[in-house]
Amino acid sequence: MLNNNTGPVAKLYLSIIDDVIESMRELFLDEGLEDRVLDDLRHLWEAKMMQSKAMEDFRKNNMNSSNFVLQLPASYSRTDQELTASVVIPASHNIHSFPMKTNSETIATFSLPAGLSYPVQIPAGVTLQTASGQLYKVNVPVVVTQAPAGQPLISRTMQRVFVGREAPAPQSYAVPPKTTRPQGVDPPSVPASSLQLPPHSQVDIPPCQEKSVPQPPQVPAAEPSQLQGVRSPEPNINLEENEQSPQREPVNLSMNASPCSQLLEQISSEEALSQTAQFKSRDIDDILKEVIEEEREKAERARNLAPAKNDNQSDPVLGLDLDFNYNELSDIVQLDGPAGNSDMEEEEGGPMEENDFLGLINAEAIKALQEGEGSSDGNSVSSSSDSEGVDLAEAVEEDPLNSGDDVHEQDIPDLFDTDNVIVCQYDKIHRSKNRWKFHLKDGVMCYGGRDYVFSKAVGEAEW
Amino acid sequence: MDSSNDEALDIIITNVVATFRVRCHLNLRTIALEGNNVIYKPDCGKVLMKLRKPKITASIWSSGKIICTGATSEDDAKLGARRLARVLQKLGFRVRFSAFKVVNVLAVCSMPFSIALIDFTVNNRPIASYEPELHPAATYRIKHIKATVQVFSTGSITVTGPNVQTVATAVEQVYPLLFECRKPLRK
Repeated sequence: MLNNNTGPVAKLYLSIIDDVIESMRELFLDEGLEDRVLDDLRHLWEAKMMQSKAMEDFRKNNMNSSNFVLQLPASYSRTDQELTASVVIPASHNIHSFPMKTNSETIATFSLPAGLSYPVQIPAGVTLQTASGQLYKVNVPVVVTQAPAGQPLISRTMQRVFVGREAPAPQSYAVPPKTTRPQGVDPPSVPASSLQLPPHSQVDIPPCQEKSVPQPPQVPAAEPSQLQGVRSPEPNINLEENEQSPQREPVNLSMNASPCSQLLEQISSEEALSQTAQFKSRDIDDILKEVIEEEREKAERARNLAPAKNDNQSDPVLGLDLDFNYNELSDIVQLDGPAGNSDMEEEEGGPMEENDFLGLINAEAIKALQEGEGSSDGNSVSSSSDSEGVDLAEAVEEDPLNSGDDVHEQDIPDLFDTDNVIVCQYDKIHRSKNRWKFHLKDGVMCYGGRDYVFSKAVGEAEW
Repeated sequence: MDSSNDEALDIIITNVVATFRVRCHLNLRTIALEGNNVIYKPDCGKVLMKLRKPKITASIWSSGKIICTGATSEDDAKLGARRLARVLQKLGFRVRFSAFKVVNVLAVCSMPFSIALIDFTVNNRPIASYEPELHPAATYRIKHIKATVQVFSTGSITVTGPNVQTVATAVEQVYPLLFECRKPLRK
């Protein structure tokens, strides 16, 4: 399941799934459940995750490997220019020409960047290999167009593509770098004018729809050949794309969080993008956040409760998780103010624990003492502190407020009903007047349906 | 409110502080968890709640006492206080809006002339005090209306008092005194 080129988020999640499943194995066996059940669970889990952030995985695949590997038969040796011309991709932003290295012995191959915008013209006689390894031999010149489900990201991605070759070829290989904001680190060893062929070249290409690839006519596979190195430096990061470079360079994000605030975030170290259904990502976030051992125990309980429910297997686990924590939280006795005098309006939910009894006993004792005096206290205090007319004024004022439904409805009701969430720990949260600054750590952000994992995040907002 | 001169002085109220009670105990944790735009300060034992519409910040104690600051007029303060009480009511507390009182009003005013503080202090010896090493303004306390005027050499003054009327009166009262000690032209 862990492909070589899955993004860090996918890797993280998959490794978590692995950990959990493995650690459950014994428990499952102890309980007498078959291994198969555990495997089923695992597959279900992975499937759901894949489904919700499936794009991310695929995209990662494509980002790190080419959509196409063009393999030319040796006979193409003399048609360098021709081939180059014909393979020029009419990208909207970039025009990349791919010179073919032609040795008579080796079959020339190179990879097309995934960031190119379709349609792509493929000359005849070329063998295409998709990232998944499928080989298509093109007998007639074809034009590959992108599937309608193509993402807008692609056309907006700018990137530099370097073609690494075994022997330098002076012909037209200039790759016009069109970088709007050059990122922190360029691949240091590949300046624009020099060529290198790394022994194991990583082809890093921003994502493209892999599905669009099998447009060329299906044909029997030809024999593969050496891969020519095509190395692309990390693409420029646009605001919403956050392509992750193979070297995991730090990325700058800028996004709008809640409607009224501007959020600038800088994420370093582990981060990547994926698409997740928000609820699912919450599950995963919970898993991330809770200690895995705790979660395992609860999973065990959940399994005991609902062994047959394959479908929602993860949910009862998490439900228990959440319930458990909520109960824990509500047990904490509030210690500010006159202890626990909240009368009937706020009920302490959930089971009480022994530790809390002491506090409660005191509170109750005080409550009992003060109950008789409570209401009269309020009256006497208020009447003594204010002028005489206050009692009348009170009577007058109370009513409008209680009956005054028009006194005020929240102006901005569902500010929190957003799908963009960050679950993390904080280092420091600071506020000056209405300017907020956040120093966050160890978290997962779900933004625009994608998950970003970070170990440090800095943000600013205005209220 | 104008001074005795013909020109009109703009008294700008910058802050109105008011307190009121909701007559019931408040669970600060609940407010902190469920309320919008709240800051919980457990060490101080209070919750700050900020409202946007009348731009106010309220400090809420568990006893049910609330201090509401940041309003720009007395009416605004009252409106904000009622909205706040409404919010608390919606959170589930049985609130009763009572004992609303404006406690402090802060206003600024700018004289069209600079002021010689030392002269001013000398002229108004016991009532005015000026300690340049401590604070660059001369403090003039009007005892009978309980207002304090801080006079800066630039001609700007800040006035604090228990209500807006007091503040206006204070400005009127202090203007002639300032006029006496003015420096020739406003810089």
